[in-house]
Amino acid sequence: MSVEQEKTNENNDDIIVIKDLNKWYGEFHVLKDINLRVKKGEKIVICGPSGSGKSTMTRCINRLEEFQRGSLTVNGVEMIEDVKNIEAIRREVGMVFQHFNLFPHLTILENLTLGPIWVQKKPKKEAEATAMKYLERVKIPDQANKFPGQLSGGQQQRVAIARSLCMNPEIMLFDEPTSALDPEMIKEVLDVMIELANEGMTMLCVTHEMGFAKKVADRVIFMDAGEIVEQNTPEEIFNNPQTDRLQLFLSQILDH
Amino acid sequence: MKEFKPLPDQPAPNDTVGPIHWVKDNFFSSAMNTIATLLILALLATVVPPLVDWLLISANWSGTTQDACTKDGACWVFVIAWSKQFFYGSYPTEELWRINLCVLMLIGVIASSQLLNKDWRNKFSIPAFLLLPFVCILILDGSWIGLEYVSTDYWGGFALNVLLAAASIIVAFPLSFVWALGRRSEMPFIKSVSILLIEFFRGVPVLALFFMGSVMLPLFFPEGTNVDKLVRVWIVLTLFMAGYMAEVFRGGFQAVPTGQYEAADSLGLSYWQKTLLIILPQVIKVSMPNILATFVMLFKNTTFLLIIGIFEVLSTTQTALTNSNWLGGHSTEGYLFVAIVFWICCYSMSRISASIERKLDTSHKN
Ligand SMILES: Nc1ncnc2c1ncn2[C@@H]1O[C@H](COP(=O)(O)OP(=O)(O)OP(=O)(O)O)[C@@H](O)[C@H]1O
Ligand SMILES: [Mg+2]
Repeated sequence: MSVEQEKTNENNDDIIVIKDLNKWYGEFHVLKDINLRVKKGEKIVICGPSGSGKSTMTRCINRLEEFQRGSLTVNGVEMIEDVKNIEAIRREVGMVFQHFNLFPHLTILENLTLGPIWVQKKPKKEAEATAMKYLERVKIPDQANKFPGQLSGGQQQRVAIARSLCMNPEIMLFDEPTSALDPEMIKEVLDVMIELANEGMTMLCVTHEMGFAKKVADRVIFMDAGEIVEQNTPEEIFNNPQTDRLQLFLSQILDH
Repeated sequence: MKEFKPLPDQPAPNDTVGPIHWVKDNFFSSAMNTIATLLILALLATVVPPLVDWLLISANWSGTTQDACTKDGACWVFVIAWSKQFFYGSYPTEELWRINLCVLMLIGVIASSQLLNKDWRNKFSIPAFLLLPFVCILILDGSWIGLEYVSTDYWGGFALNVLLAAASIIVAFPLSFVWALGRRSEMPFIKSVSILLIEFFRGVPVLALFFMGSVMLPLFFPEGTNVDKLVRVWIVLTLFMAGYMAEVFRGGFQAVPTGQYEAADSLGLSYWQKTLLIILPQVIKVSMPNILATFVMLFKNTTFLLIIGIFEVLSTTQTALTNSNWLGGHSTEGYLFVAIVFWICCYSMSRISASIERKLDTSHKN
């Protein structure tokens, strides 16, 4: 059966479906009974204390981490051992990392065209045209022929976002995209992300930028000790926490 | 509101820059340093003048036999008279252009890697470099391409050292990369086979490998086939080199951050695309100095081949020294010459590798 045929019609607008997902690192139970449905176009912000499993959960969605129990379906394709399924899912999911992870030996333009040329088999000219389009969108077309090491952190992160967008993904994952940046550069990256959100991209974003959460999130997920403790609209989460754990967390991040 | 004005730059204080200060700083900065400088100067003054005298001033340059060496300096006549043997072995004189052609091609490829831009370097220099030893073997052998056949019995001299070293490293390069990948593999069988191979060829002395190559290797070939002595040596050198390079690559792999693998995975690149396009270039970049060191070691080790009767440059020198017309004790000149030739080659290689490193370094600003 081909990957396409496996796509089911039920829950047509749920682009990510996670059911009873459990993950262990050896004996250590990192993710416990995670259940999550994400609609197409939905923007989700994930927050929680350090070590609560935010990164691990996000990285399960494009198989940077394996899980041991439960199920995960992305855009109708079930995440199983099969390389074909994994590749099909990775084609739909873009990811932006805390430390940018640009390829240091390639120019900015080559960083952007690598995926389209080798994975999507696009002609070089076309890939370059697309790349330039996205570089314009993140406002650094003039840096195309430089190397990542010659760019500021904020510029590098915008390149990383553009690199993912060049693959034309359905979903974008962000894992603390601004926490390695100086305050002056955080805004330029958040602006790009806000623009992306306004265009209707499905986004899952691990971040502690509460301003960003209030502005764009449809739903905020609060995690602790490998569980989803609360999920709700930003207003409810920030103004009306239901658990003492969330209340404590909010008082801590608002304090400093 | 007050306007912020940055202070203007000022020149550095006079006594911290300039040549006099540099000399003071580097040679006479303390009492110990001054004593060391003076001692070294005295040593140089006693050693250098007689050395220069022997090497150059009272050296014998012209003539064809050792009787021409009348002055008491070095007898370079010996080296000059034997230079054709030293460089080309006993390759037939009228076919020497083939060796010269190979040397020219080598220089051409190296020059192209320095002159061309990145795109053309990838498209031309690298493939040319990989193919060059095989092309040279075809040219030197001759029988495959319609030239007169020259048996490997006549191949020798310094050209043979270079050819063997180059042909070995080029095959060892991909082989060792695969071994290094195997060593990192999660599949137990592949992993243990890789470790076994790497540790064997790294752990056994190269001389023992040479003897095993000439005695044991024929047992692995089908009965009746007579594998050329040089091919056997080539195989041994390649495996030896691969064992070392695999460990060099392993160090290189450890220097590539996991984020690079994750970024490649999240773009949907396949295992081999990720390995060859993302990881390999970065591994080579950090391993460059060690790759060169390993290659220099291999290149110098080709002189060990004199022990199993291959006519590389050192055994040619020994033959010359025991020639009945040249029994005047020219071993200093002979070995010094070999040393200088090797030194020039190794030093140029380290310059070339330094320039490659600079080209690969993309972390600099602008
Ligand atoms: N490779 C690993 N092996 C073992 N334990 C791990 C590994 N990676 C993460 N962990 C543990 O799993 C837990 C969850 O880690 P995770 O990185 O998902 O947390 P996080 O919520 O993203 O935290 P942070 O805000 O610090 O990024 C942590 O306790 C961490 O120590
Ligand atoms: Mg994290």
